[in-house]
Amino acid sequence: MAGEDVAHGEPLLEVEGLKKYFGQDSGLLGGISFEPGRFPPISLDEQQVKAVDDVSFEIRRGETLGLVGESGCGKSTLGRTLLRLLEPTAGTISFKGDDLAALSGEELRRKRAEIQMIFQDPQSSLDPRMKVGRIIEEPMRAHGMLDDEGREARAKDLLEKVGLDPHHYNRHPHAFSGGQRQRVNLARALSVNPDFIVCDEPVSALDVSIQAQVLNTMERLQEEFGLTYLFIAHDLSVIRHISDRVAVMYLGNVVELADKEELFENPQHPYTRALLDSIPVPDPRRRGARGALEGEVPSPVDPPSGCRFRTRCPRLIAPEGYDWTDEEWAHTRSFLRAVKRRTFESASAAELRREFFGGDLPDGEAGEIVAEAIALVATDADAGTEGRGDWTDARELLLEKFARESVCATERPAYDVETEHGTDSHFAACHLHR
Amino acid sequence: MSSEPLLRVENLKTQFFTDAGTVRAVDGISFEVYEGEIVGLVGESGAGKSVASMSLLRLVERPGEIVGGEVTYKGETVFGLEEGPDGELREREEMLSNEAVRERIRGNEIAVIFQDPMESLNPVFTVGGQLREVIELNRGLSKEAARAEAIEMLREVGIPDPEERYEEYPHQFSGGMRQRVLIAMALACEPSLIVADEPTTALDVTVEGQIIDLVDELQAKYDTSFIWVTHDMGVVAEICDRVNVMYLGEIVEQAPVDELFHDTKHPYTRALLNSMPRPDRTVAELEPIEGVMPEAISPPSGCRFHPRCPDAREVCRRVHPEPEEVARADSHPHNAACLKHDAFDVGYDGSAPLEGDPRTTAGGSGGEGGE
Repeated sequence: MAGEDVAHGEPLLEVEGLKKYFGQDSGLLGGISFEPGRFPPISLDEQQVKAVDDVSFEIRRGETLGLVGESGCGKSTLGRTLLRLLEPTAGTISFKGDDLAALSGEELRRKRAEIQMIFQDPQSSLDPRMKVGRIIEEPMRAHGMLDDEGREARAKDLLEKVGLDPHHYNRHPHAFSGGQRQRVNLARALSVNPDFIVCDEPVSALDVSIQAQVLNTMERLQEEFGLTYLFIAHDLSVIRHISDRVAVMYLGNVVELADKEELFENPQHPYTRALLDSIPVPDPRRRGARGALEGEVPSPVDPPSGCRFRTRCPRLIAPEGYDWTDEEWAHTRSFLRAVKRRTFESASAAELRREFFGGDLPDGEAGEIVAEAIALVATDADAGTEGRGDWTDARELLLEKFARESVCATERPAYDVETEHGTDSHFAACHLHR
Repeated sequence: MSSEPLLRVENLKTQFFTDAGTVRAVDGISFEVYEGEIVGLVGESGAGKSVASMSLLRLVERPGEIVGGEVTYKGETVFGLEEGPDGELREREEMLSNEAVRERIRGNEIAVIFQDPMESLNPVFTVGGQLREVIELNRGLSKEAARAEAIEMLREVGIPDPEERYEEYPHQFSGGMRQRVLIAMALACEPSLIVADEPTTALDVTVEGQIIDLVDELQAKYDTSFIWVTHDMGVVAEICDRVNVMYLGEIVEQAPVDELFHDTKHPYTRALLNSMPRPDRTVAELEPIEGVMPEAISPPSGCRFHPRCPDAREVCRRVHPEPEEVARADSHPHNAACLKHDAFDVGYDGSAPLEGDPRTTAGGSGGEGGE
């Protein structure tokens, strides 16, 4: 059977520079934009959503790689692209030595027996008109496995393996609860004896008590069948429980990848830290930092240069060329964000200085730029700006002189950092580790 | 607590009359909300927590009906039944009329925040316009004054650039921003109580954190009370002062939040906590609750949790426990509906442990496969 060529713990799947872009041309007029102020007023939009943008990692045989991130980060797109349910825009997906991204037709079809997928919604991923026995046999039929009798025997055997009663073979999906339907999905995925299963939020639609049952079953099956999982979820608690290693995604990039214990106990990317700080811990004695992040995720159509997290990062690095203390930079950074998001009401220049800088502006050139920006938005601005808050100019000035000059904006980060827990490598895409 | 509660719910029962039979969605729950408190209503799907919260505002629609109990808000009877001369249950005279509830209570006194902000906002009107209308109608302000107030509220709930965004439509807001708008709407009429039904469930974890922070801040500022309906024990631990745990239409445990987590008195609450993976530590083995929640149409006899309970004994099959005070903390009672506590004195200690396969097949739905 397939997969004997890769030993336990060796890379089963290697992803290199994977990209998946979506054109915004769906629908009849999707790509057309209309701007009456311009000539010609109608233009064809060539914008692309960079859902997965240059991602590289490996998954080792027998492990569970957790893939975690917030909605829109590209984690599901990544999972689907690995299976070639979506066509990759660029990059290679090497599975046991074959590049899945380059396979086509019959070869790809045959390969699909070795890679299976489980979806989030156990309701809509099962055909309501089919009996579960038939649902489980379907992939075997598609891949020409066994004869009718053999398939039925295997389906019944699998029902038992996933914790259902083999007598349920003739029932329809509606007769099952959500947790049981997810078990049927598991049995279907296992029917063709795959090596690798992509699990996309498999337990997030389930109640906690049921979630635990399904997670335990998945772990048992992994051991019994020597399965490798890519486990995609937004729930960090579930990820911590099930994964061996964890990759964190933000806006199409993997920002951190490490051994589970290492990632949760020694996170090295500010985004991972913010995520971990935000989870409500089920212990009232540990109330604390949360809402650690300000602002919202930028659009994947035009993501920030360099580090994509930099526009929200609480630790954005000070641009070179100015001479300021950590405190002065911290003040400037929060002023910059406040102007950018326009989160305060305009006031006099003196009041703004007090509010954001404790009265003292940074020394030298940085201070001059800040003073200029304050003058632009202050209510008592110079006659030149007619006392009117010019937010856009202030914003551009601050972004231009500071935010876009930071190393976080000019270079894409990728570092291997020191590991504290275990021996595995620890990847963190953050310039703080320069 | 010496002072009168803001809201008192006594023996509330809400049922749904369906072709398949009567669903006892909420089956005799009692709890109180005091001024400035955040009270949790927690449970898994089907526990009846949403129906319970909607019953408080008399927002239950057919085939559902509140069939019993009393809801008292600031001394007024929002719902109450009495026995008529011929044994029939009828609405009590002092019970508020539908108009009174609609005009005086909902919005002005008790506001609601729902889970899905997109469903609660009208997609064809601007966000600002909808907020302005709520303020205009409920607070009797002029259009101009209401507009200024609406922009102020948007800023207050952390919407950046509120003058600009006032003119935008709901679809131009992210999920977290829409939820902030709903919070602004709820707060706009300065209610004393806000019923929040899973308000952060659809949000990402960092956004959820932001919203919880916001609620904390606003609550400290306005001293609004909250009923927080959720399935997430993490959120409960984070935000609630006191908690009611529901199982199959009943409240099985009521306690201040610290006691609920650190001195748990009901086996269901304990099982729920043990079945959760933790974000703050690695749990080697999860302990799932065996079986599935039975249908509310035909709940198990005796204690409704007994078929799945690790502590169940023979007596649990026969005797139905109502919540009793089993401990006290901070002058609040810690109530639990479990016969194993001395307060019940029904011979639990001498009763034989229940042997049996929790994988019982309930109705046509079969049992959840246990490990």
